[in-house]
Amino acid sequence: MFKKSPIAALAAASLLLIAGGCSATNAGKSEAAKPAAVAAAPVVAAPVAAPAAAAKVDYTKMSAKDLAEYLIFEAEGYDLKQATQEGTNGRARLVQDEIQKACSLMKGQELDDKSREKVMALATASIKYPEGGIKLGDWKKGRELAWSGYGYRTAHNPDDHEKGTPGGNCYNCHQIATDRTGGDIGPSLTGYGKNRGAGEDMLKYTYDVIYNPHAYFACTNMPRMGASGVLSQKQIADVMAYLFDPESPVNK
Amino acid sequence: MSFRKSLLALPAALAVAGVAYASSGMLPEDALDLQIKKTNSSSYLIQSPQNLMMMPDNPAWLVAEAGEVLFKQARGPKNASLEQCDFGKGPGVLEGAHAELPRYFADTGKVMDLDTRLVYCMKTLQGFTNDDPAIKQKHGSKSDMMKLQTYIGSKSSGMPWNPPMNHPLEKAMRDAGEVMFYRRSATMDFSCATCHTQTGKRIRASVLPSVYDPADWTKAISWPSHRTSHEEVRSSQHRVLECLWQMRYPNIKNGSDASIAMISFWTDAGRGEPVIVPDLKR
Repeated sequence: MFKKSPIAALAAASLLLIAGGCSATNAGKSEAAKPAAVAAAPVVAAPVAAPAAAAKVDYTKMSAKDLAEYLIFEAEGYDLKQATQEGTNGRARLVQDEIQKACSLMKGQELDDKSREKVMALATASIKYPEGGIKLGDWKKGRELAWSGYGYRTAHNPDDHEKGTPGGNCYNCHQIATDRTGGDIGPSLTGYGKNRGAGEDMLKYTYDVIYNPHAYFACTNMPRMGASGVLSQKQIADVMAYLFDPESPVNK
Repeated sequence: MSFRKSLLALPAALAVAGVAYASSGMLPEDALDLQIKKTNSSSYLIQSPQNLMMMPDNPAWLVAEAGEVLFKQARGPKNASLEQCDFGKGPGVLEGAHAELPRYFADTGKVMDLDTRLVYCMKTLQGFTNDDPAIKQKHGSKSDMMKLQTYIGSKSSGMPWNPPMNHPLEKAMRDAGEVMFYRRSATMDFSCATCHTQTGKRIRASVLPSVYDPADWTKAISWPSHRTSHEEVRSSQHRVLECLWQMRYPNIKNGSDASIAMISFWTDAGRGEPVIVPDLKR
């Protein structure tokens, strides 16, 4: 009964840590003694430590996927408690939703039809439209949003949303207007509105793609700027104005 | 620059003549030059002519020289040097050691990278603890960690990446790292693969390396490197940290098994291509 209590488990774990530290020190002194010291340490520390030692996972007995999940969530790989700008924590950032799971395709893996349909359906269902329909906002604001890569970064240098507005990161991957250098992971959007017109269908399509591009392109590299909450409906309208407004440098 | 000259064990001409990457090393600029020829001047490798020109005067050499002094100095509570540290090829053997990391170490029962192995030796041989600045300060050219890593890393320059996969744990870590490489999550749905599986693509003006182009990839994984935009020498661990920051992931723990799994995968992807350390990067 004593062995099963959480406090005992905690004590066992800390004993293990201490023992581990000692064995590491010993190991440095004598090559031959190293594996033995590691194996023997928990027993020497306390019999209580034995179950904990037995529970210690053997990485080689796990599938690559299980081990990856273990390293991310159980092996103190990440700061799972780190606060995020959206008020959640590091763990929430790392837990995959259904689209992320379906789209984590490894080399040589292809999305099967059933998964594609599911991803597209989930994406379509996620899209929320502004009351009063899709309208263009302020292209000048949209220009800055398209340029900015600020926001939602955490790790060692968290972005402070009080000090800076999160941007759309569009230029990271797209060439848009020609006055600034964009990336080319995504297609060029130069002359977007001029080339496509600003009909109702085109506006809806563009809104959808910014909000959740998986609705059209299952497992695209592009982030879900609306569905993830990075851009508000109003901000999407601004970015769309940047793409469609005849006065925007994109269409000059 | 006597330090650099000592690395010139083999004339580059020999390697150009078709000899496999010299086991006794090559200056990083010569190793890089071979890659540029081999890839027919890939856009990733030649994207910064300034950096290519600066390679022989890489500020990282000063950091490596400081590292050599530190390495040989008796330091820490145990007043010992690091000359008996075993980086996998025997106590004190640095030539080619970095090219074969991460690897399994029987004395710890773990797969360790350059960073974690160095910390282990500083603790066991020299008696430093996690709270000592020598270990605690992981980043920046002025840190002991970066001085030592740059020195040790430079001793593998020109040698082919060859992380062992004989121990089941080495394979397990590499394979888990591969899964993590493709695993999408966080605010932007990014994985490593988002940016590193296509040839010649750019984020803004920066050409990205692809994990499928080993001849390019070796430069991407060649750390320590001096980063001109940071004006600091950076490590593999720092590269992991910074990519994940851009990807909107939470902070990864330096030296964690998660970080080592990723480094194991990416090093394996560069297998056979020459180490270019110290490198110069944007």
